[in-house]
Amino acid sequence: MKPAPFTYHRPETLDDALALLAEHGADASPLAGGQSLVPMLNMRLAQPAHIVDLNGLTELGGVVITDGWLEIGALIRHHQLAHDPVIRAAQPLLAHAAGTIAHYAIRQRGTLGGSLVQADPAGQLPLIARLTDAEVVIRGPRGERRMPVRAFLVFAMEVALEEGELVTAVSFPLLKPGTRWGFELFSRRRGDYALASVATTLTLTNGKIGELRLAIGAAASLPQRLTGLERSARGGVPDAAWIAETARAAAAAAEVEDSPQAPAAFRRELVEVLTHRALTAALTPEPA
Amino acid sequence: MEPRVPIRLGVNGRQREMAVPARRLLSDALREELHLTGTHVGCEHGVCGACTVLIDGTPARACLTFAVQVEGREVTTVEALAEGGDLHPLQRALGEEHGLQCGFCTPGILMTFAAYLRDHPDPTEDEVRDVLSGNLCRCTGYQSIVAAVLKAAHALRMKAVG
Amino acid sequence: MSEDFTQIGRALPRKEDRRFLLGKGRYLDDIAAGGALHACFVRAPHAHARLQSIDIAEAAALPGVAGVFTGADLAGWTAPLRLAPPIELLQPTEMTTLPIDKVRFMGDPVAVVLAADRYIAEDAAELVRVDYEDLPAVTTIAEALAERAPRVEEGVEGNLVSHQSFASGDVAARRAEAHRVVEARFSLQRHTHAPLETRGCLADWDEGREHLTVHVGTQAPHPYRSQLAARLGLSESQVTVSSPDIGGGFGQKIALYREELAVAALSRHLGRPVRWREDRIENLSAAAHAREATCRTRASVAEDGRILGLELWMEEDFGAYCFYPANYMARVVAMILTGPYRIRDYAYDVKVALTNKCGSGPMRAPMAMASWVMEGTLDAIAHDLCLDPLQVRRINIVRSADLPWRMATGEVLRDVTPAETLEGAVAALDMPAFRARQADARRGGRFLGLGICTVIESTTYGSDFYKSAGIPGSGHEAAWVRIEPSGAVNASVGLMGSGQGYESPLAQAVAEGLGVEAETVTLRMGHTDIAPYGMGSRGGRGATAGGGTLYLCAQKAQARVLEIAAHWLQVNATETLRLRAGRIERRLSGAWQDAGLGLADIARRAYLDPTALPPGIAPGLDVSLTYDPPPMTYSNATHACEVEVDIATGRVTVGRYLVAEDCGTVLNPIVVKGQQQGAVSMGLSGALFEEVIYDPAGQNLSATFADYLIATACETPEITILPMHTPSRHTPAGMKGMAEGGVMGAIGAIANAVNDALLPLGVKIERLPLSPMAIRAQLRARERDPPE
Repeated sequence: MKPAPFTYHRPETLDDALALLAEHGADASPLAGGQSLVPMLNMRLAQPAHIVDLNGLTELGGVVITDGWLEIGALIRHHQLAHDPVIRAAQPLLAHAAGTIAHYAIRQRGTLGGSLVQADPAGQLPLIARLTDAEVVIRGPRGERRMPVRAFLVFAMEVALEEGELVTAVSFPLLKPGTRWGFELFSRRRGDYALASVATTLTLTNGKIGELRLAIGAAASLPQRLTGLERSARGGVPDAAWIAETARAAAAAAEVEDSPQAPAAFRRELVEVLTHRALTAALTPEPA
Repeated sequence: MEPRVPIRLGVNGRQREMAVPARRLLSDALREELHLTGTHVGCEHGVCGACTVLIDGTPARACLTFAVQVEGREVTTVEALAEGGDLHPLQRALGEEHGLQCGFCTPGILMTFAAYLRDHPDPTEDEVRDVLSGNLCRCTGYQSIVAAVLKAAHALRMKAVG
Repeated sequence: MSEDFTQIGRALPRKEDRRFLLGKGRYLDDIAAGGALHACFVRAPHAHARLQSIDIAEAAALPGVAGVFTGADLAGWTAPLRLAPPIELLQPTEMTTLPIDKVRFMGDPVAVVLAADRYIAEDAAELVRVDYEDLPAVTTIAEALAERAPRVEEGVEGNLVSHQSFASGDVAARRAEAHRVVEARFSLQRHTHAPLETRGCLADWDEGREHLTVHVGTQAPHPYRSQLAARLGLSESQVTVSSPDIGGGFGQKIALYREELAVAALSRHLGRPVRWREDRIENLSAAAHAREATCRTRASVAEDGRILGLELWMEEDFGAYCFYPANYMARVVAMILTGPYRIRDYAYDVKVALTNKCGSGPMRAPMAMASWVMEGTLDAIAHDLCLDPLQVRRINIVRSADLPWRMATGEVLRDVTPAETLEGAVAALDMPAFRARQADARRGGRFLGLGICTVIESTTYGSDFYKSAGIPGSGHEAAWVRIEPSGAVNASVGLMGSGQGYESPLAQAVAEGLGVEAETVTLRMGHTDIAPYGMGSRGGRGATAGGGTLYLCAQKAQARVLEIAAHWLQVNATETLRLRAGRIERRLSGAWQDAGLGLADIARRAYLDPTALPPGIAPGLDVSLTYDPPPMTYSNATHACEVEVDIATGRVTVGRYLVAEDCGTVLNPIVVKGQQQGAVSMGLSGALFEEVIYDPAGQNLSATFADYLIATACETPEITILPMHTPSRHTPAGMKGMAEGGVMGAIGAIANAVNDALLPLGVKIERLPLSPMAIRAQLRARERDPPE
């Protein structure tokens, strides 16, 4: 399990990185935290001729709040996502979910941008990005563009990046005041990729559901928003019966895939249980 | 022949130089170029944690890092833990609590918790188990490792108090 | 336990720990070898395929590559492995060093590249072109045993490599007179050992001396050397096997594997050191697997739960290659199945089949399944008769008054305490309190369960056992103890530890026998030029066979020391002398007093002033001894496990876990506790998570640590141990051995606990692992199709 040969580049500026990617095209692979890419290289499942190491790009390491958005540089590590006071205050759900990724040492290296580009259907960060309608900031040969995560995530392990483009940041809309949230995942062992995960945010207006968001991860090839259910939830009275009904509806509405390790029926059951638990958590008042 | 990239880095407080192929994993470079064989290689896909070292004080899988990436950085391996023949409190506690058997996973666990306890001096048992879940041990059943980490945390706190 | 021991039983820290903690352990890859070539094996991507051609040209031409070799090359330098012991209904098997005609499982090595480093070797391995002609594969035991099934090995008819049966008493008559006949099924999934350090070796042929040195982490250096020499056509004098520190073995590091043989042969062929370290994917898919078997029991029982007769049908899926006689593991399960229960009428039928999967070998508790099958059968009886499972155990268990108890298979239990450990565990559990909590929890929609499993662990196999059981092997062990001229004590034995921590406990056995402090004894193990020819480490024989042999050998050394001392002190009888803490003591009016001599004085005289020795005593203080333990030594334990099953997700969480154990005299309580906790956690990890998965085409789907799931610290419970040790009267110092029973007990205890939790839901799990998917599948089926 040793990687095939490659040429290593460590640009110090984003422009240099983009130039290298432009020069080497499909032969080049950007390297961020490496926690998913390097195993692929070691197993020789990927054999790029050029590795462009992004870890020297300080431009990708910012955390800023502007105009209702929390913009987080692509190189921010999961550990920082989980612990940065600005992120914790502005997007506690994102911070919480990031703290559940893999293991302590992995979280020190893995990056937000890398996670989004990896687009693992079971990944926490694509799920939260999808839930919150985050936008991906992309730089490439034709300059900068922003793209909603919904459009960015194309399929399992596939994103809408053109050749020579890099994700430089991910922008999360700030949560409205009073937004409650819940996040649940089910994995065989601590730190494993989830077999199913559920993230939710909701607001209450006069004791009734204002805005509900509900996203399901790991069940199918992409994280999915249950938008129909979100719409119909408005005005609901969030009691135990409502939670149970919503969880059942989520399980019915979610697209689930079948695999020998986790049959579709099992995943659907998980969606129901996790939705139930996530909604319950969201609706449980914080201890004073 | 495959081109070699010259690199300079700090290893356990000493400046070192070597020339390695770009694809050389840090785990292999430490073991073979620098003869620091305390860093063990258990899976080479980042799961088992045996190769965990510190890069600029932060735990990292040496098997998921290329040696060329640590140019200019400071790498700390298990060989640097003991000071002047005195075992680090983590090393001492692991020995006292029988927190190791074959010893193959031990260096990775030591390095992970050397960093973790520095940043979290008073962890709960659940927190210790959560962090330890990134290191596989096939021999002990973990409970003696957990006990050792908690004991070392206590010893380190006492030491800090003076 | 004897009050007289001063060294045995001490909680002496492990001597190994300091070097391991400092990162100064010396494992295989830590041994430097200038100019060594690195091997990489080219492995088959198919489960079963004919080898049409292998084109090595492009690979061999790559700069840095020293050579590429195939099975045909190696056949010229090595002999095949033929296993044909004279055992009834065991078909002979044979394999070449690397396959020549066909591959038998995904991962079978078809060629080996030697290069300047592993990176280049892997580059070249990708360039070896192999033409395969796919053959139909058998990947389940049912397929293997079907009529006209494709043959895994041409010479093994019907793939049924072993078929053994046995009957004692009259099970049919017992069935006829029984109050009830209760059947139960048990299916254990395929596991693999997954030591943290994978396999590997470093072979160095010395052309001038015509001598081969092989560094390899092996649990059994001498038998390994014998096999290696024989297959290379060398004399044992031409081969040295040296085992460095081993990063875990669990049974995977006993056999001489094909890769290691190939590496040794190539070092000899090229006259250069060659090293090989398998990667994790190879280790998980192509080293050795274990445990895949299904058992069915039929118990004839009386109204009160007494077992009148028991029948067992067992089928084991052995994989493609036999590194051990195929009857070996299953045979032991069948032989000790009735364990601590009074069952006189017993019959078994055991089939072992070859399939197109990785070959099987013994894995920590090769008889792992036995306790689960027996204790699961007891629970099935209890449920069927609406009796308390504990009551069913109590009525059947062997009590001290029954000892020695001769099992139906002829195995004899002496000096065991299963009834005592059962009661010890039950008392510690507070059963009524648990049942109350369980009932409370059920009212709240939570499902708790409790499982009990009493284990009779066959730890130490004497030669008589092998002979009478029809399993090839010897059970003896060998030791030497040498007191050097300075009084320093060195000792050796044929064992080789793979992480257990032998150095302190075995030094304690020597120290006890000799009469010195354990700190002054150094053990030298793992090197065939140093260690005497013993059978090595396997099963739980370390203490009884290894420690016992060392203890006896050290006693013999002490007797020699005392003879010299008696002559020196002009004492007539050595009975009035003893060696304690390295000092000669003399009994005067009933009290022991220092006689003014130390071991160093005696040693100096023995070596450097031999004319002063008593008549008939030869110079030097170098004693050796071999010892063949009793046919079988058993230790016992009772495990109790509390679980909660989240019926919404199927997740099992282990709560309390305790073990009441009796492994006789304990050499070192630190090590014994660590072994017990380690064995239990390995058993739980296996029962809950681990599974080697093949798809129907024989593709291995579990070849990474992201797919072969080993429990982490978050899934492993606290394990409480209640020591209830009683010495054996039939082994040296009363040792019984342990370290595998924890696996047996854990599998049985957790499976029974989960079924106890699921009992009110009318669901029973018969197949491991206890995965959320499997539990949910059962519950789902029940929800859809509720009972009348």
